[in-house]
Amino acid sequence: MEIRLSSILLAAALLSGCGWFHRGEKPQNQVVVEEPQSDPSVVEPQVTRRAVTTPKIKAKDVELGAYFGALSIQDFGVNPVYGARLAYHVSEDVFLEGFLATSKAGTTSLEDVFPDITVVSNAGRRFTYYDLDLGYNVLPGEIFLGRGRAFNSQLYVTVGMGDVKFAERDQFALNFGVGERLLITDWLAMHLDVRDHVFETSLTGRTKNVDNIEATLGLTTFF
Amino acid sequence: MRRLLASVLLMQALCVNFACAGERLLQLVVTQPFLEMRSGPGRGYPVVYVVGRDETVTVLYSRTNWFKVRAPRGQEGWTRREELALTALPSGAPAPIPPYPDFTSHRWEVGAGYGVYNRENLVTAYADYGLTDSIDIEAVVQQAFGTLDNRVVASIGLRHTFIPEWKWFSPTAGIGTAYQHIADKVPPAPLESNNQMAYVSLGARGFITRRFMWRADWRHYVVFNNLNVYEDLEEWKFGLAVFF
Repeated sequence: MEIRLSSILLAAALLSGCGWFHRGEKPQNQVVVEEPQSDPSVVEPQVTRRAVTTPKIKAKDVELGAYFGALSIQDFGVNPVYGARLAYHVSEDVFLEGFLATSKAGTTSLEDVFPDITVVSNAGRRFTYYDLDLGYNVLPGEIFLGRGRAFNSQLYVTVGMGDVKFAERDQFALNFGVGERLLITDWLAMHLDVRDHVFETSLTGRTKNVDNIEATLGLTTFF
Repeated sequence: MRRLLASVLLMQALCVNFACAGERLLQLVVTQPFLEMRSGPGRGYPVVYVVGRDETVTVLYSRTNWFKVRAPRGQEGWTRREELALTALPSGAPAPIPPYPDFTSHRWEVGAGYGVYNRENLVTAYADYGLTDSIDIEAVVQQAFGTLDNRVVASIGLRHTFIPEWKWFSPTAGIGTAYQHIADKVPPAPLESNNQMAYVSLGARGFITRRFMWRADWRHYVVFNNLNVYEDLEEWKFGLAVFF
């Protein structure tokens, strides 16, 4: 019994020894299965993806134009005025507007009667102003021309402040206006405006507030 | 000047006409029972046409809260933002009608106002860009009208809004640099007619409605001069602004 057990242990030891000598060698005749290199996707898309862009909506809230009219410079007669305007419409009721215009003053009654007297030098007769205004469309509506034509229109009021340069001096000026915007098309508008520029001056001897009222006709485009 | 004005107007008219030609326009499908089209961009204008459900309208352009649209049979009219927002793209996705910009996180701001600078009337205009929700960079141009002189002041600075999420009233503080030009009105002429300045400011801002807001500002300027005297100026102003 003891001999049999010893022989089994010896055989096991020999076998494990053979295993020791063969360690690290690759087993021959073994089939190596290589892993697939490509992605395991099932369906290859045949259609190239198209980039879809949604067109943007253009906002036409800005109004730019020019105007021409008559400006009554207090004590200096009525004179032609021309200028440019730029407006931004914030809502259907409210808009912000800027004006830049120029005119040239005439002569006072004193200068007409006594030609030797000069109240303002020739260069100082240039009357230039800029205004920053807040406008409100008070009466929007339509104007009918004949039976088959209607134009959109808005009666608006403006109030603002700015600078009047007259007699080579800059003056702080308030302005108040009322106007009518007649839309010939949705992008082209005609304006009729009456505006008063009020500022303090002492040009004619005593310090007083002068009203300089203008009536103008203008054309603007929306973009 | 006259020639310039005429050419500006002509260029404008041409730009408006050419801009519409060959442009890709947004098409939207009416998903509600109907879509009303009015004769003008305002709540009082009459409804002139109605587009039915599942019909497609073409959006031409917008003006304030209104969009000009074209119906399938060529009729054109104005539709309110809130109504057009209920339509859909042909793909079924919601219509890309932009909402009003959010006040607390808006980026651009343009405004104008009235103030007093060195006890003189002040007209001010400014543009402001938000670097973050609470820090803005501000550029201001203003003109002050005094009895002795007129001043043009340009400044650039940074402003911090302490609690931007407070909609109706939020305090602000700022610092910056400024430049002033003094134009003499009454002799004697000023000793220095151009100065560099620095300022600190305290103020507040608040939302009014839609894209409107107000701002109030107090500034203290220190004038850098070569006269060996300390000179400082004060200013306060109030203005209205539009934000984008």
